[in-house]
Amino acid sequence: MTQRRAILAAVGFALCLLVPLVVQQDYQLNVLFRIALFSALGMAWNLVGGYAGQLSLGHAAFFGIGAYALPLFHDKLGVPIPLALVLVIVAAVAAAYVIGRVSFRLRGPYFALATIAFAEVLRLSVKNLEVTGGDVGLQVPALFGSISPTRWFYLAAVVLAAAALAATAWIVRSRFGYQLQAVREDEDTARACGIDPARTKLNALIISAAFTALGGALYASQYFFIVPDSVLAIDLSERPAISAMLGGAGTMTGPIVGAILIETALELFKNVFHEAFQLIFGVLLVLVVLFLPEGIVGTLASWWRRKRAS
Amino acid sequence: MTTLLALEHVSKRFGGLRAVNDVSFSVSDGEVLFIVGPNGAGKTTLFNLITGFLPADEGVIRFAGRPLTWTAPHAVAKLGIGRTFQIVKPLRNLTVLENVMLGAFLHTRDVAEAAARAREVIDFLQMSAVIAKPAAGLPLATLKRLEIARALATKPKLILLDEVVAGLPTTEALALAGLLQRLPEWGVSAVAGVEHVMQVVMKIAHRVIVLDRGALIAEGTPAEVVRRPEVIEAYLGVKYKQVTG
Repeated sequence: MTQRRAILAAVGFALCLLVPLVVQQDYQLNVLFRIALFSALGMAWNLVGGYAGQLSLGHAAFFGIGAYALPLFHDKLGVPIPLALVLVIVAAVAAAYVIGRVSFRLRGPYFALATIAFAEVLRLSVKNLEVTGGDVGLQVPALFGSISPTRWFYLAAVVLAAAALAATAWIVRSRFGYQLQAVREDEDTARACGIDPARTKLNALIISAAFTALGGALYASQYFFIVPDSVLAIDLSERPAISAMLGGAGTMTGPIVGAILIETALELFKNVFHEAFQLIFGVLLVLVVLFLPEGIVGTLASWWRRKRAS
Repeated sequence: MTTLLALEHVSKRFGGLRAVNDVSFSVSDGEVLFIVGPNGAGKTTLFNLITGFLPADEGVIRFAGRPLTWTAPHAVAKLGIGRTFQIVKPLRNLTVLENVMLGAFLHTRDVAEAAARAREVIDFLQMSAVIAKPAAGLPLATLKRLEIARALATKPKLILLDEVVAGLPTTEALALAGLLQRLPEWGVSAVAGVEHVMQVVMKIAHRVIVLDRGALIAEGTPAEVVRRPEVIEAYLGVKYKQVTG
């Protein structure tokens, strides 16, 4: 079973890599880039929000840190791109450590509010700092050369998503994955099993932040120019969360399914709803929590298990 | 016999309520100690103090000679104190096997090894029939056993059992008590239990202490304790008479 899934994932990955041979228009590749990117972000969010059960609504902070760290390290400090990408991860890990240490003292809705607050404080700081260009923003170095960069951005996003999926698969099968779920199910029981819930959640957030920041750097470079409201906006916290919850929080492929649906819908309806998508996100989130708590993949998996059992 | 757990003048207040009031006792290697007393006597609070879920206001708790002051619950578990929860706390969306594996993970990173250890414990507690079922939806009697299984999988030196037979039919309670007597086979060197079911206490306890309104009021072998007039009248009277009948 496990082996079959691994082969399936590898085939899927290979097919995604071959897509640019067929799809060559920049517009379409750009949509696919976003689907792959938000799949990766959804899977990263899922480690904290799904498996560890900690509803973070502040992942925009890590996304924005990744987006800003790339130009800041490369253009302002002259760090070469590969090293700058490593420093993107370092910055995100450091931020996750600080944010996690503070906000994991809170539980449930209070934790969610704290993560929103962190992201908003960061957005307002970046808006007002000179080094980040304030409201004017920053130019971002190109990660890929000028020959059909969209194709390369798409491929990079697919690789990032594959890495996030591989990391999830590895974690779920490891002791760490079981411990995350124990913390989600009952922190007291986890403690009685010798698990330190605070440290376990923090480790999950650190891994999640690293992936999210790389996604932010990729996104920033793709759009060439960033402002605080484009890479630190609250909808960048919501989109990965909604993708994961719609697809199935705490399932391996749920965030991919969710990202495909959400990003496609956003693209199809962007001229219809304009700014109203914020409202639609909110309503959708409430509906999913109320009527589809296991998400699409989770609900299908339960149904399949019941069918096989009977 | 060496002392494994020692409480020295331990107190805990909740606002104006003295939940645990200047309690001292010890548990030795090889001993089965039961704590009895009416509801609200402070028995569960005592367990929460020992396992670090609550900090004591006064006094010292030592495990194998080492003071546990400010030791976090997960660190207490690592030192070798396993516990069950009176109000069962299963990991609801995980299977019975996975629940017990989480206890076993205290001593191994290896998933297959944890699963093997968990299977042995589940087999010992006669829960193999439900091993693949999610914990949500299992009857209370099974969840009580799951509490024991999870604690046992952590390979504790001392296991704290908080009302694990309460609410079970008498035959099941006595059957479970029989299994509890075999805990030393699993490397458990001492057992401390809280229990209301006197048949079980009489059957397996070496020593009994009686708590009332946070204070320790009697201590001795089960046979001695139940003969004390104040204990019979205040706490055990009706129940014990029913039992011996």
